[in-house]
Amino acid sequence: MFGFSARSISNVLFWVTRKKWLILSFLLSISFFYIPSPDGLSPEGHRTLIIVGVTLILIISESIPLPAVAILILIMEVILGVDTADGVASSFMSDAVFFIMGSLMLAVSLVNQGLDKRLALSVINVTGNKTWRIVLGFVTISALLSSFIGEHTVGAMMLPVALALIRNAGLDTDKATNLSTVLLFSIAYGCAIGSIGTPSGGGRNVIMIGYLSEFGMGTVSYLDWMKFTYPMLLIEIPIVAAIVWYTFTPSQKIMDSSVRKLKVKVAKTGEMNANQYMAIAIFLVVFFGWIFLSPFIGLGIVALSGVFLYISFGLVDWQDINKNTNWGVILLFGAAISLGIQMRETGAALWVAEQTLQYLEHVFQDIAIVRWFVAVVVTGILTNLLSNAATVAVLGPIILDMGGNAILMGIMTSVASAFAYLTVVASPTCMIIHSTGLISSSDYFKAGWKLFVISVLLLFMISTFYWPMLL
Amino acid sequence: MKILIAISSKEYSGPTLDVGMNIARILKASTTIVDVGQKISEFSMKDVSLANELMESWDIDRPGVDVLEWAYKYLEKNQFIDSQDMCDGFPKHSLVDSGAGRAEMLLQGSTIEDLSLILRNGEIIDELRDEVQTHEYDLTIIGGSGKRSMAHDLVQYIDSSIFVVNNFDLDQDYKILLAVDDSPGTSKAVKYGVRVAQAFNNKVDLLTISNDEHFGDEYRHASARAVKMMRRSGVEAEAHFKVGDPVDSIVETAGQDHIIIMGASTQSPIAKFFLGSKPLNVMRNCDCPVLIVK
Repeated sequence: MFGFSARSISNVLFWVTRKKWLILSFLLSISFFYIPSPDGLSPEGHRTLIIVGVTLILIISESIPLPAVAILILIMEVILGVDTADGVASSFMSDAVFFIMGSLMLAVSLVNQGLDKRLALSVINVTGNKTWRIVLGFVTISALLSSFIGEHTVGAMMLPVALALIRNAGLDTDKATNLSTVLLFSIAYGCAIGSIGTPSGGGRNVIMIGYLSEFGMGTVSYLDWMKFTYPMLLIEIPIVAAIVWYTFTPSQKIMDSSVRKLKVKVAKTGEMNANQYMAIAIFLVVFFGWIFLSPFIGLGIVALSGVFLYISFGLVDWQDINKNTNWGVILLFGAAISLGIQMRETGAALWVAEQTLQYLEHVFQDIAIVRWFVAVVVTGILTNLLSNAATVAVLGPIILDMGGNAILMGIMTSVASAFAYLTVVASPTCMIIHSTGLISSSDYFKAGWKLFVISVLLLFMISTFYWPMLL
Repeated sequence: MKILIAISSKEYSGPTLDVGMNIARILKASTTIVDVGQKISEFSMKDVSLANELMESWDIDRPGVDVLEWAYKYLEKNQFIDSQDMCDGFPKHSLVDSGAGRAEMLLQGSTIEDLSLILRNGEIIDELRDEVQTHEYDLTIIGGSGKRSMAHDLVQYIDSSIFVVNNFDLDQDYKILLAVDDSPGTSKAVKYGVRVAQAFNNKVDLLTISNDEHFGDEYRHASARAVKMMRRSGVEAEAHFKVGDPVDSIVETAGQDHIIIMGASTQSPIAKFFLGSKPLNVMRNCDCPVLIVK
């Protein structure tokens, strides 16, 4: 047909079916471009919202690689005249992006030290061999550690511990059983509730802090953040353990031989070596840096200082960092934050916020409830479809423009973005446990919805009764 | 001749592997067995690979390796690999990453030419298509589990011939149902049919279908030629003529005791995409194995 071979036509058809969302987003953006701007929305704001729409479609459909989405955001910002090239470039890099980059590199540095076996031993020594105590132990340690070093790091380190236990329980490792499900979910959900604990628990917390100071709405220090969120984290630990236990109660109530074999295995690796002590010491330096220095030099610079120490002390090879750092994600968050800032500056965020308030006020009759609904429920749902950091980057400016106490609204949004319990793509730890092939996608919903509802209610109570006391 | 056998798990892929390897043995084809694992979201790709690296230090296999190990044991047991060369059992450490989420293991001492195992991660159609295109396979053999939802994409986008091992019972004697008409695809399908029938000692039913009572000369010639070719190759063949809808007749005649072999449609890809094709509709509706020859 027209001189094209059947094979090349078939290639084009394949491309079209695989890229249908890309094509759709392109067509939608052209048609929205020619619709006149609605009242109260500037032409720049109108075009910024087009970029937001395209970004959301492309991230959710995963029809093109993430770095390509990031590059497209930057290109569209300049071509649609939202900002100049230099303006886009300067909003692209910020301390929050430094932090995300540093935190991903710190993860590689820590994971490379072989500390996972130490971690396993200390968990098992405390919990003993009863399965329910191991589940509670996994949730606790995942939550506490991920609140400081980030959920992706802890998820990667805890996975082999759980799999070693499952394998030594004498079960077929490639069949899903309640035992494997309960142990893996205790890690994933433990990490999720942990990530709200401090700013360094997740990149999205830092993105929110960045927005607050960028928009001149207030500053939140590392310790202030902990005062707001840590009580909720502690309350959620037993709740998570109970929910996963009663949803996936395993038949093996005691894991005697697994625990013994694990101890033997870890004993073979010998005492802790100098490098491991050094690695922990550097992390403590970073931790104290976050607490005491970050108000002056920024959370991102502190994280990067840690990376600098790890590399220059020879504790990690640059090659390893280069290979295992997700550069695409760094680019995407840079671009998403830049987009967030443009949403604020062009008034697009304010316009969306006002429209939402107006519309939802008819439904709820009370503006405070509307704000709460968007910050918690909408964020919580979107975080399960997008990644949690992308959710905060895009929703953050809108929620901050809805009025109310900006700091409370900001922290509430960040906390709600951790309710990533329902889908595989919701968070890195959800994906890590799914990649083992032991968890089916429907399992996420089974335990996840209960946890989601309880978390929403808990956040409501804490933000209504406890947070105002801190102000 | 290059064959690709797609497997997914111990529970479901037994017949696929068995049929595939027997075909490979008979056709003396170089063979690759592929397991396509979970698609990993891009946000978490590096986190998952970090976790996998740690698992290696714990001697825990990354996901998918157990499926390859199972396939390896099958090959060993059925003497596709000379076990004397492989005293150490499954050579886990010879699984080499060849980039873009693809890892390959070339098996030494195989009794057929080039036998390898590979592991890929992603959407199954994307991965199979890429594998078939870059490595130019002639035949892709796949289990029937996702048949209905994947049928369209398989027929439309995989460039090789496709054998869907659907509802295959290893203990049953199958006959071959060859759909014959005057299209260019038929002669290729007949050639495949002869080889498969010789290999498994099957009887062949040649089925020619017309929409009305009048069978054209081309149809009769095509059928006669096919019968002649079968007889010459020592295959027992019987010609049948039926009136009715081609797809319904093929599916109905095949029942559960035939392997359907038919040529791929020669329509343009665009027409196939929007209107479908006979092979596609047969694949969607039948309850038996189907081989579509391209």
